[in-house]
Amino acid sequence: MLTRAEAAEQATGLGGAAVRRPTERVRPRCTPITWVRRGGLSKLVFTLPLLVVFGVFSWWPIVRAVAMSFQHTNLVTAPVFVGWQNFAYVFHDPTFWVAVRNTGWFALLALVFGYPLPLVVAVIMSEVRRLKGLYSVLAYLPVVMPPVVSVLLWKFFYDARAEGVFNTILGWVGISPQPWIQSTVAAMPSLVLQATWAAAGGTIVIYLAALTSVAPELYDAAEVDGAGIWGKIWHVTLPQLRGILFITLILQIIGTAQVFLQPFLFTGGGPVDSTTTILLLVYRYAFTNSLGGNYGAATALSLMLAVFLALMSILYFRLTKRWSDA
Amino acid sequence: MKSRKAIAALAIAAVGVGLLAGCSSSDSAGAKNGKVYLTVAPVLPGATADALKALGDRVKEFEKANPNIIVKPIEYQWTGTTFAAELAGGTLPDVFNVPFTDSKTLANNGQLADITAEFKKTSTADKWNKNVLDVATGKDGKIYGIPWGPYAMALSYNREIFTKAGLDPDKPPTTLDEIEADAKAIAEKVPGTAGYMQMTSGNTGGWELATLTNSLGGRLETVGSDGKVTVTTDNDETKQALAWLQKLRWDDNAMGSNFLFDWAGINQAFASGQIAMYMSGSDVIGSLMQANGFDQTKYGVTTFPLADSPDAGILSGGNVDVVNVKDSPAQIAAAVKWIDFYRTQPTVDKAAAVKNAQTLKAGKQAVNAPTLPVFDKSTWQQNQQWIEPYANIPAANIKPFTDGIFDQQIVPEPSAHTQDLYGALDSVVQAVLTKKNVDVDAQLKAVDKKIQALVDADQG
Amino acid sequence: MSDRTIISSADWKRPGVRIPTTVLHVVLLLLLIAVGLLPLLWLAKSAITPTQDTLQHPMSLFPNGFAWSNLAHAWNDVHIGSYFVNTIWVTLGEWVVQLVVATTGGFALAVLKPAYAKVVSGLVLATLFVPAVVLLVPLYLTILHPPVIGTSLLNTYWAVWLPAGASAFNVLLVMRFFQGLPTEVFEAAETDGAGPFRLFWSIVLPMSRPILGVVSVFAISAAWADFLWPMLVLPNQQIQPLSVRLPAIASQTDLGVYLAALAIASLIPVVIFLCFQRTFLRGGGLGGAVKG
Repeated sequence: MLTRAEAAEQATGLGGAAVRRPTERVRPRCTPITWVRRGGLSKLVFTLPLLVVFGVFSWWPIVRAVAMSFQHTNLVTAPVFVGWQNFAYVFHDPTFWVAVRNTGWFALLALVFGYPLPLVVAVIMSEVRRLKGLYSVLAYLPVVMPPVVSVLLWKFFYDARAEGVFNTILGWVGISPQPWIQSTVAAMPSLVLQATWAAAGGTIVIYLAALTSVAPELYDAAEVDGAGIWGKIWHVTLPQLRGILFITLILQIIGTAQVFLQPFLFTGGGPVDSTTTILLLVYRYAFTNSLGGNYGAATALSLMLAVFLALMSILYFRLTKRWSDA
Repeated sequence: MKSRKAIAALAIAAVGVGLLAGCSSSDSAGAKNGKVYLTVAPVLPGATADALKALGDRVKEFEKANPNIIVKPIEYQWTGTTFAAELAGGTLPDVFNVPFTDSKTLANNGQLADITAEFKKTSTADKWNKNVLDVATGKDGKIYGIPWGPYAMALSYNREIFTKAGLDPDKPPTTLDEIEADAKAIAEKVPGTAGYMQMTSGNTGGWELATLTNSLGGRLETVGSDGKVTVTTDNDETKQALAWLQKLRWDDNAMGSNFLFDWAGINQAFASGQIAMYMSGSDVIGSLMQANGFDQTKYGVTTFPLADSPDAGILSGGNVDVVNVKDSPAQIAAAVKWIDFYRTQPTVDKAAAVKNAQTLKAGKQAVNAPTLPVFDKSTWQQNQQWIEPYANIPAANIKPFTDGIFDQQIVPEPSAHTQDLYGALDSVVQAVLTKKNVDVDAQLKAVDKKIQALVDADQG
Repeated sequence: MSDRTIISSADWKRPGVRIPTTVLHVVLLLLLIAVGLLPLLWLAKSAITPTQDTLQHPMSLFPNGFAWSNLAHAWNDVHIGSYFVNTIWVTLGEWVVQLVVATTGGFALAVLKPAYAKVVSGLVLATLFVPAVVLLVPLYLTILHPPVIGTSLLNTYWAVWLPAGASAFNVLLVMRFFQGLPTEVFEAAETDGAGPFRLFWSIVLPMSRPILGVVSVFAISAAWADFLWPMLVLPNQQIQPLSVRLPAIASQTDLGVYLAALAIASLIPVVIFLCFQRTFLRGGGLGGAVKG
């Protein structure tokens, strides 16, 4: 139901402002007392925790990040404005390009190995007639382990001696000991293997939920059209999962672009920077020198990463919105 | 009604902020009712109950002698990453230790308290070895800390594995070639054990490469007569050092299969018998016993071999106990008294030395871990005699080191952007150990360029 | 209409479908056991195996007997228990802060709608697109020198609790939920003379259990997993959560004891998961789909 004023406003279209003005004049003057009486204070009280927490721990640091990326700060003397120098420093650091390449490589490997796998497993699992719960529990167990614990455990599994856990298992089938994280070539795939192990269960559960929401009539209809099992997967299942597949894809890219835990705990970025990722480089710039970090370079690099991720997030947001509106 | 509730909520919010402030403000009220309160950091995290009890006894002893000082000991371990944070955050205790490489820079940055006046009052003020005290002296000539526990780099080895490989543990290697030969023998006869290894990550790779370079007579940085620092990692000795590692790794296959070790990591691998020999500080047995429960009877240590060159020397390091720059004069006075009591007296005063040795022994901590003298050789030797009855590391095990160390020339660590330099060299060492054919020259040139840029930025 | 999947009951009757599918299912089950369960069992085994056995024969079952003392050492010397308590503190605090900020803020922006609501929710939405990595350094410096109170928050739990509250995702989720509540409820409450506080506490909150559950699952699992941030702001070992403490002591602890510590650290979440698996699996499905 429209109030009369609103109806008038709608009716007059652009002239709405002219209608509004007299009503404003009718209102009593705004004083602190009337503000409180109209609930202004309680509104503010409710907004306050959000304003304080976001203000101090989100908005202000974001503004500060932008400022700091153009400054030299050592926490002792006053910051000095240095223009684009920090960005130039990052671009001239050979490790930066190595880190970009490594992060891209990690993301690509994670995509190739980690992306299709959960889908395949979920499709097979959705057909299980008995003990379906057992399958889900087993698949989800790695997700439950605290991430730090699972990395530390795998670090021991990756022991490169012949007596290492994985190398012992390989020895049973006659494969010679592998260097795992001790080689510049094998280190990154080893990190991806662990990351995939740790994350696949979560994605499988998402796909399982999505698979149950595929309308049964669609399969019925496909069967009427004479589709076999592969035909049903290709023409019904995959198109129906398209939306969620896109979302998990972008989430995975956003996640892998910020990978830190694995390289930090497994290799510290080594051997020879073969696993140094962008976030690890940010951390190194800022935090590894006991005499004070290069905060300018660290913020400059994180801003560059942020712009990339923000574009990804916007894409994600658009897609989820379209998806939930549809 | 409405507004009363609103006020109540505001009050709650205010209390919240108050709590927040209350929680975070540490008890930095230096002096209360005539007492001086002092937070000190003499104990590593994870110390055993025995060690803590022994420390408590020493604190009581100190408080009895200085009734107006209340000492609160806390756990503390210097690490590069947390130190900058705590320094910037102002959460450091009143007395804490920093390594030799950091003390001068921190002093010159005005981040440490000037203790000159109080230091001059200590009984040993004039006895100090000038070279040692220099690490705690600022460019203004003032004293900013008291050094303790200086060490030289050394070769630690596992006597049990030596015996297993048919080597004589009382005759450790004395040249790089002998290290190589022994390492090769061990790798062949004791499968799954690395004959020789050194550290490679967390800036320790550069640290140990610096040691190797110095031992061959080279330097990673040179200081000109005008004070200008030139980064010179691309030198013959460093290349020789890397070639030696390359040979051990690829020709002899004597360095095991794991190549990513930081300080704590290599200690653990050594303690669990995966490494037979490694390059370490001469006092590392202290940590091996405290943190890794290593049986000191298996431990052997010898001097790291020096090349036959007038420039060849052994890299040394150590700790400086410093005082929080925010402390009051009364606290600074109390802090210097504490450091003198806790660190210096046990090296010069017989009663203090004996008491300290008893304490360590009771706590199953290393009593006679080999260190370098802070004063002079005769004081150091006398001290060794005092603590001999309590020594818990067999004298024969450390004899190869203590016999040889006084013939070695001591070289300090490179001074400019030390950690950045070490960090950059980590990669070079890792490359040599994990890639068969590495263009070492190009890598070292890149390091020179990178670190020189940082050095020039400071001076320009 | 029965629940059906890709394979129809007609398909299932054909041996050419049934047999390969069954084989596939058995193989998958074995693989899942190997991948999901065996690492945990190995950890449990190694927690009570002497260090040298684990180092030399990691896949043998107790070649030289047990080392039950590992567990006692992990509990008494490594103090796994007290780090567990720290972890719970971190988690609880983050959870409470996130709930308070999200519910009060969501209520204010969605129901009370002050004049500045649009601006504020726009600003909150904007932070959704700023990844956490940007905040790392400036947020850290804010913790070192927070405005108004002046003293550093380093080494206090506030340093992990408060920044966790600034989750745009939570606020928007709760806000949307509140917007979806029937407006008649608010009108009825107003005619009854209920002020905003009673409206919030007695009417809106009880109605929003489902969304609070979702926010709680996210908050708790994120807090449980967080590593980099607590490592930076809690350098004091005594107040660190497990995720920070375990890597720090990795090299200073006997391997057998260390694996026992890892086993204890995994045991509790695994047991909780097995007890509440339905909630987890459903929440996991939902969480992954909406989390940004």
